[in-house]
Order: sequence, then C-alpha cells, then structure tokens
Amino acid sequence: MLEPVMFTGGLYKHDLVVELVEDLGGYILQKNVTQSEIILLILVPSEDKAALEDLSTELRGELIRAPLAGTEVAVVTPTLAIHHLPHTACDIAEYLRRHGSKTNMMGLARGVGREIAQINEYETALINEHDAAVFIFGNFQDCIKKKEGLYRNITVPVVVTGGPQIDSKELPYAFEYVPSIGRVAHRARKATEIGTLDRIVESIGRALDKTRGSIAKDPLTTSPPRIMDAVREQVPDIEFSYSPLPIALNLNGVRVKLPYQTYKDAVSAVSFDEGVKLGEIATIRPSRMKDYILVSILPASETGFVF
Amino acid sequence: MDPMEVFKIEVTGQEEYGAKKYREIIMDILQDLGLIRSIGRLYVYIDILKPFFAVYGRLRSGIPPLTAKDVGDVMRVSGGYQIKINDEEHMADLLRVLWEHYGRERVEQPARDMLIIASDTSPSEIVVADLEAEFLQDLTDALVRIAPEGFRNRRNEMTKDSFLFIAAEESLTPEIVSEIKEKIREMENA
Repeated sequence: MLEPVMFTGGLYKHDLVVELVEDLGGYILQKNVTQSEIILLILVPSEDKAALEDLSTELRGELIRAPLAGTEVAVVTPTLAIHHLPHTACDIAEYLRRHGSKTNMMGLARGVGREIAQINEYETALINEHDAAVFIFGNFQDCIKKKEGLYRNITVPVVVTGGPQIDSKELPYAFEYVPSIGRVAHRARKATEIGTLDRIVESIGRALDKTRGSIAKDPLTTSPPRIMDAVREQVPDIEFSYSPLPIALNLNGVRVKLPYQTYKDAVSAVSFDEGVKLGEIATIRPSRMKDYILVSILPASETGFVF
Repeated sequence: MDPMEVFKIEVTGQEEYGAKKYREIIMDILQDLGLIRSIGRLYVYIDILKPFFAVYGRLRSGIPPLTAKDVGDVMRVSGGYQIKINDEEHMADLLRVLWEHYGRERVEQPARDMLIIASDTSPSEIVVADLEAEFLQDLTDALVRIAPEGFRNRRNEMTKDSFLFIAAEESLTPEIVSEIKEKIREMENA
C-alpha cells in the first residue's frame, strides 16, 4: 500500500530523498522548487515510511501526510468575475493544494444567477475528467437549492459549499454540503474560517475514498503512478512540456500534457516489463483540457489481469 | 461598530444568514474602495424569490472640486507663477488642465515637483479634478461589485445627496421599482 506524503525542506541534498523514494519503490509525483525550498509530493510504501521520516528529520525537512496526493480536484465557481474570486475560490483551491491534490480552478461561462444559471456539455465533460469537484455557491439557501441543475449530470462526487446551514437531504445530487463558506469579500484568516476549509478537505477525502472503494471492487490493471513513471521514461519529450505538472495523476489514470495528435502513438506504445503496451491496458483519448492526452486504465474485468 | 449612522438590511424569506453576510460584504467592499466615510445612511432590501437586490443610500456633504491651490503652493515669481506640488497623485491632471488653459509652450517643468507658468493670471482657482464625479464613479463600481453577479438588469438613480441602485435577474418593471421605493421609504421611516 502506497502512502501519500509531502516533503518540505531545503533544496540542498534533496536528491537523497528522491533516491531513497526510488530505492523503496515509491514515486515522486511532483517537484516544486521555490528558490532554496523544495516541496515534493511522494508516494511511499507505508511499511518503509519510517526510513523516509528518519531521512527528512536528518535533513531538517518536514514530512506530512498529504491525503489528496495523486488526485485531481476541480474547484468550480459560477464565473471568474470579482464576485466569486479571488477570496473563497482561491482559499479553497490553495488549501486543497496544501493537502496534496492537483487543483484546477474553473469558472463556468453562464453559471450566475438563480433562474438563469447554466452549465454546458463541454464544462460537464471537463469536470468529469477530475476525481472530485467542489462547487462554490453563495449566501442564500434558496439559490443554492436552485443551482442543483449545475451539477446534476456530473458523475464524479461533488462537494457543494455555501453560506447557510442546509440539510444535506435537500441537496440529493451533492456528495456532501459544507456550510459557512459563502460569498465573502476577504481572505479566510479566522480560526472558524480555516476550520471550514478543513471540513472541505475532509469531505473531499471522503469522496475520494468512496471512489477508491468502488475502484477496489474491480481493480485497475495497473496503478496510475506506474504509468506515470513509464511515460516519463519512454516519452522523453514530456520534459519539454511547460506545464508545472507534465503528467497529472487521477485515481483511474493519468493526463499527459502533450499534444494528442502528435504523441498519442508514442504514449500508446509505452511498454512494461510484463510485456504489455499501454494501448492494450488503457483507453487513450483526447482530453477536454487543451489538447492533452487522457489515459484511463481499464479494470481487471476487461483485461483479465493485474500487474 | 458601523461607521455609518444607519445601516439596515432586509431580506425576505428564511435568509437571515444571507442578510448577515451581505452586511459584511458591503462593509468590506466599501472599505476596500475607501467610500465608507462618504455614506451616511444605507438601506438594503433583497428579495431572493423574485429575485432583486436594492440599495438606497444617503451621502454625506458634497466634496468640493480640487483646485490647483489644493494640489500645491502657488507663488508669484518674476515672469509668472510657480506651483510647488505637494500631492503628486494629481500631477497628470494638473498638467493636462494647465496645458489646456495656457498652452504647452507657457508651462514649464524644471523639476519633478515644480511648475512655472508664464502668465499674469493666477492658476490657483483652476479646477484640477472633479472629485465628486470620481466618487460617483467609484460608488457605481462598488454597487456593481456588491450586487449578486447574475443580477444584470440594473438601474442606478443618483442625485446630489442620495442614490438608489436596483439589480434584478429579470427585466425591471415599473411595479417592481415602485414596490422597492415603497419598501425603502418604510425602512427609512421605521
């Protein structure tokens, strides 16, 4: 079982951490260098976590559990206007990132209003490429209830946030409802506000656990980090992708940030030691996000084996 | 404590939380834009089922226009007048009006905070900026920011000492406008 952790420490000697993780059979998901600091998102085998903890103490770094690592979460606001951004949306997105998730912020084209709010097919499909979504609504309970139509057709778990207390039975299409974070015009700084952000993270964690649970019933042919490693090794052009995270992990696959038409064959031809090619164990489709490549791993029931 | 004399907010239906939060939002935005001290009384009426959003405010005493002598010290020197700038924020506006008034060739700027005008008429009373117009612009901007974003049918009635801003999702009918005015009158007299 791989455990998601986040290492924060000095740039000096961080290669030792990378080497140890590789030796233990773990994966480096993301590497963020900010001047002399580095933040590493790591998947490490849980039985060997102690070794990594010892090393990070020795390097005066910090190792914390990042429960959302290896997942992609969409933070959706009704639009990108000043009414919804930056405070609430950025606070939530930033807080999810601190817990390890890859967070994408999305503003709907016509999500505003009570009667006139809409979502289109493209936006729905794009949100469905994520592992979970957070919909950020406002302060009036009547509006929050009316806006259910925005996420009714979304297949991934949707956590709805808003101001007033609403019984979750009244929002049947939402995975959970987190109150007391409606529209505000200041950054979250009070303890109660930070507590609300914690509740959103917990709720997203539960949503992801539910998805993990359903994947476990029919396990994937291989794990997404393994595909990430193989693609990184066998499609060297990924190094030239300007994205901060050239290969983003989902619970059931990866998103490779290279143009689909040019690289789909190269990605499909990525091979594993077991003698199979990626194209045989996964569907490779154009992603709705730019012209990236979306790789969804097929479950064991379709391929007949797990490795 | 509110810096305003009166700040009332009313929301129809079971929306006490919304009323409380909108109070905070309005205070935050007015404070951000530095408008809060110019507003004396504020009445907000929201009906979320119709839905519309209305703000009526009474302004504190008007702001006089900014003249050249407010921006710097005007002195008589040989061959004209000299202005020593104290507040550089309005430098661009001042130069523009001086150029318009005297012509570019008669306005000289030997140093960053110094202007010399070759003329016999004093520039002290020249209006540099109409602060009231700027204030009203900022106020409109604040009201658009405060109103819920989906409410795009707006009406803004501004007079010298008050303003009434209404925003709604559907078209504004004379009935809605008169209903809002009636309600605000009630709130004022309550």
